[in-house]
Amino acid sequence: MNTIRLKPTLLSAIVFPSALFLAGCATVENTRTVDSKGPEALNTSSINSQDWANAADQLVQSLLSSGALDKAPTQPAILAVDRVINNTTLSIDTDLLIKKIRVALTQTGKVAVTNTMGLGERAVVASEAAEMDEMTSGKKAVMKAPNYTLYAKLIQQTDRANGKTQNTYTFQMSLTDVKSGLTVWEEEKEIAKQTKRATVGW
Amino acid sequence: MKTTVLPLVLRTRTGGLLAALCLLLAGCATNVNTVERAQSQATPNYVADKRVITDNTLAGAIRVVSVNQATVSGNLLKIEAVIENLHNSVMTLNYKFEWFDTSGMAVASPNETWKSIRLQGRETSTISTVAVNPRAVDFVLKLRE
Repeated sequence: MNTIRLKPTLLSAIVFPSALFLAGCATVENTRTVDSKGPEALNTSSINSQDWANAADQLVQSLLSSGALDKAPTQPAILAVDRVINNTTLSIDTDLLIKKIRVALTQTGKVAVTNTMGLGERAVVASEAAEMDEMTSGKKAVMKAPNYTLYAKLIQQTDRANGKTQNTYTFQMSLTDVKSGLTVWEEEKEIAKQTKRATVGW
Repeated sequence: MKTTVLPLVLRTRTGGLLAALCLLLAGCATNVNTVERAQSQATPNYVADKRVITDNTLAGAIRVVSVNQATVSGNLLKIEAVIENLHNSVMTLNYKFEWFDTSGMAVASPNETWKSIRLQGRETSTISTVAVNPRAVDFVLKLRE
């Protein structure tokens, strides 16, 4: 039987590149947990988690600094969430913005969000509980009318120049006094995302 | 008219110097000039701050000029810091505010996250936040590149 003997250097020259080649073929999953609202969050041309948090924070800061909620006839002021219009090309759940604002405003203790009207989370169980209470106590449940309504709109504008695309997302928000119909606070925040088209690609 | 032809080595060096000069001037091009009232009418409530520096590069690039505070909406603390880009080029700074109550316990705030701000060369700007929880009395401002 003939045996082929390879020199160690020649053997390693064959084995090492082969190992590298095979390693290249293997799919290595490299997943890490990141702060969804931190600088490590993936920055895309659309609205990412950090953008939602920033927009919500800026809007809440503006509302609280305006002092509009201090003039409410009751404390906490009762707020109903009106329409949230999404005029962007993105298919998004607007609760990514609204919920953050609701959570922050509720934490201040200056706002209570009603769930019986508007786009608030429908309080089905609460309604059933109120009905049961009516039946057992014989007293009509009293629903509180909101003092204010919150309206929001998301707009996208796309501009292209010199191989760059800029998506400017505008977050508009208004607080309306239901008694007078007057807008008592308004704010607009913009986030612009610029993307450069890859020079090599197919 | 006499024309002087520079040797190749000298021409290359001159070109290099010109390119470096252009780059230097381009770096200065983003700088911000400002004009303001000579005697400020504002009376800010400055916060006596304590600074912990773990990144000397960042400390040499961004300076926290001052921190002042106010109360908004009756009982909510607002903090505003004036920051300055010490470089002659555009810089992106990441920052985050954290809140603490009278017991020194952290107060969770839903929207207090890392935010970024772009500062032009030598630009001074402000970053601010409002505590959404009335229990918040102290803060920590974190800065990173």
